[in-house]
Amino acid sequence: MEHPVIELNQVVKHYRIGDNQISALRGVDLQLQARDFAAIRGPSGSGKSTLLNICGLIDRIDGGSYRLAGEDISELDEAACTEIRRKRMGFIFQNYNLVPVMSVFDNVEYPLLLNNVPKAERRALVSDILDKVGLTGFAERKPDQLSGGQRQRVAIARALVKAPLLVIADEPTANLDTDTAEHIVELMKSLGHRLGTSFLIATHDDRMTRHCDKVFSMQDGVIA
Amino acid sequence: MNHIQLAWKNVLRNRRRSFVTIFIAAVGCASILIAGGFALWTYDILIEGASREFGHITVADKSFFAKEEETPMQFGMQQDNRVAEYLEKNPEVATLLPRINYSGLISNGDKSLIFLGTGAELAREAAVRKYFLVVREGAIPRGEPSQLPQILLGVALARNLGAKVGSQLTLIGTTAATGGINAVDVEVAALVSTGWSEVDKRLVFSDIQTAQNLLMTDKISTLSVFMHHLDKVPAMLETLAAYDGEHAYMPWWEQAQYYHSVRALYNRIFGLLGMIIIALVLFSVINTLAMAVVERTREIGTLRALGAHPREIIAQFVREGGIIGLAGVMIGNLVAAAVIWTLPYLRLQMPPPPGRSEGYPLLVAGSPTLTLVTNALIVLLCMGAAWAVSRRAASKPIVDALGHV
Ligand SMILES: Nc1ncnc2c1ncn2[C@@H]1O[C@H](COP(=O)(O)OP(=O)(O)OP(=O)(O)O)[C@@H](O)[C@H]1O
Ligand SMILES: [Mg+2]
Repeated sequence: MEHPVIELNQVVKHYRIGDNQISALRGVDLQLQARDFAAIRGPSGSGKSTLLNICGLIDRIDGGSYRLAGEDISELDEAACTEIRRKRMGFIFQNYNLVPVMSVFDNVEYPLLLNNVPKAERRALVSDILDKVGLTGFAERKPDQLSGGQRQRVAIARALVKAPLLVIADEPTANLDTDTAEHIVELMKSLGHRLGTSFLIATHDDRMTRHCDKVFSMQDGVIA
Repeated sequence: MNHIQLAWKNVLRNRRRSFVTIFIAAVGCASILIAGGFALWTYDILIEGASREFGHITVADKSFFAKEEETPMQFGMQQDNRVAEYLEKNPEVATLLPRINYSGLISNGDKSLIFLGTGAELAREAAVRKYFLVVREGAIPRGEPSQLPQILLGVALARNLGAKVGSQLTLIGTTAATGGINAVDVEVAALVSTGWSEVDKRLVFSDIQTAQNLLMTDKISTLSVFMHHLDKVPAMLETLAAYDGEHAYMPWWEQAQYYHSVRALYNRIFGLLGMIIIALVLFSVINTLAMAVVERTREIGTLRALGAHPREIIAQFVREGGIIGLAGVMIGNLVAAAVIWTLPYLRLQMPPPPGRSEGYPLLVAGSPTLTLVTNALIVLLCMGAAWAVSRRAASKPIVDALGHV
């Protein structure tokens, strides 16, 4: 049987500000299956970003356990987490976070460079994914020569070029107008299905959740 | 895209700032090469001066360098000996000059002054000393027959005696054997200068025979050996010591006091200057890269999220530091080369250093070793600075880095 991509068990996360301790996550249970296209929604401050950071291994849990594809990774060190992100995860940010000195092509190529993919193969993979996100012809542009929607498509290409196990997207459409947001969601979903990549998306946006196979609702640091 | 291309793009990200830093590295590199090259050039002429004065190796009696002579020529030696014969035939030896050191009074009849004399083969001696023995008036005698023995007189001594070319003077000295007083009449053939005002005040050169006549001896003081290649001197010293233990052999560097004191002084001055320049370059590079690191904190977080290890982020900045350093030293080398090559055409003179009456040409030696060391030092410092300033940002928690604005 295939393991769930993500299996969170009573995950707890605290932030400390001075003497005060804020519990951002207070015992989250969550399962994400392979090829799920799932949303987390909830009011501001409910802990969506915190949960995503933990699922994306860019933040550590303070309690509970995290199994990724069946493997308990709660205790892994920073270097091992980096290796997992490098090989199996993609990220899409609200503000795109493209590297301004790199061309569209270079931005999308970067994760492959990290994975030591040979040059010819990199070229083929990048061209292919740029074609899929509809940016053929924009390869040599710099990010600042693109619209918001185009930039987010570059970010999607960058996240998906290595066909990862999981893509984490924190409010990927928050900066986009309705039509563009709609296109972006559809693009993510169709590519995710094609590549067998699971998506975990934080959003405020109900138009977004309509497209999702699963919707988790967060409230005060727990999934309702 | 590869890592070097990416580093280059990042260097160009803030062009003005990077160019200023590259410029500072270039100026620093050029300054070190020019100042250091000037010091090396000065050492070169001092070495040449010392070796032209003393010879590369001075051969003398065993006690000559160790003790003071109590009577003239007490530690003299025979001009024809085993070593002289050996050296005469050795292909590495360019010239062999016998010398007699003596002193006494020189008189014009009214006035007597102390002189320090050298008995030598005048024409060959002058040829060897070249621009370290400048003829101001008259000409070096080349063995033309003359009534009186011909001497060379230091310009300052000549002035004090009121002597000119053609003047007749008397040398008065103590004889070697008995310690009695002896005198010979001589004629001034030329007025000369060594460039040392203190030396020129007492300077007399006569031929060997005249010196021997005055001292009533058949010995010489020393035999100066001039070799074709300076770097063969240490080997020759060993060979000579093994060949003949009857004599003492003194290399030029043990006699070149002035060279050593100038070198010690310059090494300090230019060493300090170099350190200041390096510190300035270092501060500038640290400043530039530290600003770049702060500005790119969110980008660092992004790249870390995408799976870059902290060491890969640091390596990125180190490559950028390396590029800045390399660009700097390349420009610096070109500037230094341009200065080194144009200086000879400008014919600039340095003022006379302390104790000398002559200046010397302002030139700069181009040294591959100095260039290599300077380039490596600057590039490595730039890379080290990049490492130091990016280390912390590269291992900052990713969430914090991503939240950085
Ligand atoms: N770095 C931090 N330091 C301290 N507290 C934090 C930090 N990040 C988040 N928090 C707190 O943790 C809680 C959850 O924050 P989180 O950012 O996960 O909410 P969110 O659901 O993503 O909100 P939004 O919809 O506004 O993005 C909030 O109370 C927030 O103030
Ligand atoms: Mg959030």
